[in-house]
Amino acid sequence: MNSYLAGVLVGIGAVLLAAAIAKLRSRRLPGSVAEKAEVLSKRRARMLPPLAAIFLAQQASYFSTPATTAPRTVDTVKISAWLLLSIVLLAALATKGFWFHSKEVRDLIDDENTRANRNHAMRSGFLFAMGAGVCVYVLTMFEPVTAREAVHIMMSAGIATALIQWGFLERRAYQDA
Amino acid sequence: MPERLLNKLKDRRTELGLTQAELAEKVGVTRKTVNTVENGVFTPSATLAIKLARALELSVEQLFWIER
Repeated sequence: MNSYLAGVLVGIGAVLLAAAIAKLRSRRLPGSVAEKAEVLSKRRARMLPPLAAIFLAQQASYFSTPATTAPRTVDTVKISAWLLLSIVLLAALATKGFWFHSKEVRDLIDDENTRANRNHAMRSGFLFAMGAGVCVYVLTMFEPVTAREAVHIMMSAGIATALIQWGFLERRAYQDA
Repeated sequence: MPERLLNKLKDRRTELGLTQAELAEKVGVTRKTVNTVENGVFTPSATLAIKLARALELSVEQLFWIER
């Protein structure tokens, strides 16, 4: 089997496992929509920074392989899994998230303050991605950079920044509560 | 000098014996949003300001004001 495909399958497996765990944990949530939204919203505020850390830690597997040498199978699997994680995180940033919960809960979680925080985080993510693009552009004047490396750096900078910023804003929103 | 939107959300809410969670449920937002508006961290939209004022039985002008 192609190792990139294996990586994507590993990523899909991880996403399905996370979804199953989320579904099991949601059974223990309190009854009303407002209480569920409160618990999930707090959980998201707690989870965003560690998610960004996991996402950034994955960069090590990409940049530990020199561009000049052919990547090992294990590296291609990790890179494909990273791509899938990036897509999932982007989807979580761009949508209400919590896809396995009811529409009422999802609508309430994505209320006015959350949307404002999310938009702010997306703006920061975009600016950091563009900043990374500028840095890569300058870097190419001194070092050869492959197209995939450039895309990888820009995506990582944008997504990680948006996650960290959103997590910070969500945590701050709960202060003095 | 920058303008600041101040409010008496907390005073009025406690006056009516409401918790943040109860007020949030009344206006259809999470407790977090009520908390951020109360603390002046988040400026609500006109829609949310009207909903909050209605829930607290005040006019928007009585609930929010601008400090220069």
